[in-house]
Amino acid sequence: MGDPVFIFGGFPMSLDYLISILKPMLEGAQMTVLLFLIAIVASIPLGFLLTLAVKSSFKPLSWLAQGYIYLMRGTPLLLQLLFICFGLPMIPVIGEYLVLDRFVAACLGFILNYAAYFAEIFRGGLLAIDKGQYEASKVLGLNKWQTMTRIILPQMFRIALPAVTNESVTLVKDTALLYAVAVPELLHFAQTAVNRDFTIVPFVVAGVIYLIMTIFLTVIFKWLEKRLKFE
Amino acid sequence: MTIMEVSSLKKSYGKLDVLKQITFDVNKNDVIAVIGPSGSGKSTMLRSLVHLEEIDGGTISVSGNFLVRDGVYTKPQEIKQITAKMGMVFQHFNLFPHLTVKENLELAPKMVKKESSAEIKQRSTELLEKIGLTDWAEAYPGKLSGGQKQRVAIARALMMNPDILLFDEPTSALDPELTGEVLQVMKDLAQEHMTMIVVTHEMGFAKEVANKVIFMDNGEIVESGAPEELFTNPQFERTKAFLNRSLK
Repeated sequence: MGDPVFIFGGFPMSLDYLISILKPMLEGAQMTVLLFLIAIVASIPLGFLLTLAVKSSFKPLSWLAQGYIYLMRGTPLLLQLLFICFGLPMIPVIGEYLVLDRFVAACLGFILNYAAYFAEIFRGGLLAIDKGQYEASKVLGLNKWQTMTRIILPQMFRIALPAVTNESVTLVKDTALLYAVAVPELLHFAQTAVNRDFTIVPFVVAGVIYLIMTIFLTVIFKWLEKRLKFE
Repeated sequence: MTIMEVSSLKKSYGKLDVLKQITFDVNKNDVIAVIGPSGSGKSTMLRSLVHLEEIDGGTISVSGNFLVRDGVYTKPQEIKQITAKMGMVFQHFNLFPHLTVKENLELAPKMVKKESSAEIKQRSTELLEKIGLTDWAEAYPGKLSGGQKQRVAIARALMMNPDILLFDEPTSALDPELTGEVLQVMKDLAQEHMTMIVVTHEMGFAKEVANKVIFMDNGEIVESGAPEELFTNPQFERTKAFLNRSLK
């Protein structure tokens, strides 16, 4: 360990120390980013399908989708994660086939949960579109598919974008719930270092890393919003 | 030459009859102004012609093809073919906000008509010039004034080469100083012998441009005729009362 630079959080700080804790934490952050990417790439399309199911004129499908959304939004994500990781294997008879890798189980939990939120966001986007858009499309001879893909969805995604941004930022922070199902991620390594070295520096570092990730995300979405401003 | 026949149209919402026995013909090159108080069923009638509203009884035929005959609609595929002969201009423009002016014009022909993109491009360029918005081709509708938006909406409808153009209160959502530019485009179209049905509160336009005026009240046609007759010598008390109110 090099020369102490200054004292912080009860621990003599040095560049060497920072680097030594940063290494495992950045590895953990990779897990965080991986989970984020998997969850967002899968839950946005799934959420959109759920929106279509809710809007379906086939009532049983609509009810099923609404019930699903209610269940997923009405119970804590942490409970859902614990259920998938530790609950499923305890189900009699079929339980032994439901023992999933922790990370896979966590991905599944995040996807299923966030899909419900994205479904509601997209539904809001659809509701905000004036019925005149459908009428103009119809009179111009566009069929239902063309109307949906060319007229309605582009507007829906644009309207939903700020809410999607918000939800994505929440997702970055929610990845810390991996801690609860013992998948080593950013927060896990921070906690380990805090316990070992008796200093809060690793927590501060973890906070900064989360901030960098969310700022990065916000900038991307802001850029997207600007590009899709239609002005 | 008759290109559209409408007879005994009926429509009701529950107990409320919004259209009762609406009957009229449209000849080629007609400019028909449909006037009447709010809630008289004018817009519903117009919208039923392009199948934006379903009627409960009556017949609509376009160039001899029945859209609906005695309250029974034809097959969906034929409905599409028949309504494709008509264009519609809405009170609130209904432009596509995520597409540029040019894209608004070209989207439907590209998707629906089997034309080369060169033909489509040429027509959109001509129409933009005609409505005086060549410089706005790449702008999004959000940047346009109400009058400009409505002119684009008219051009968008014309892109489909309709036989009949329907206008549903095309100037009602505009600031008074912007109605002129839209009415001018409509006058130009009338001079080029476009067949038009115009639901409007613009009595001046009805008088000047229309060759036939239909006065509707309470879901029925009270009287119709040439504008000079109907405006100067209305036959019915209801028409007189409405005209007195509308013409100050």
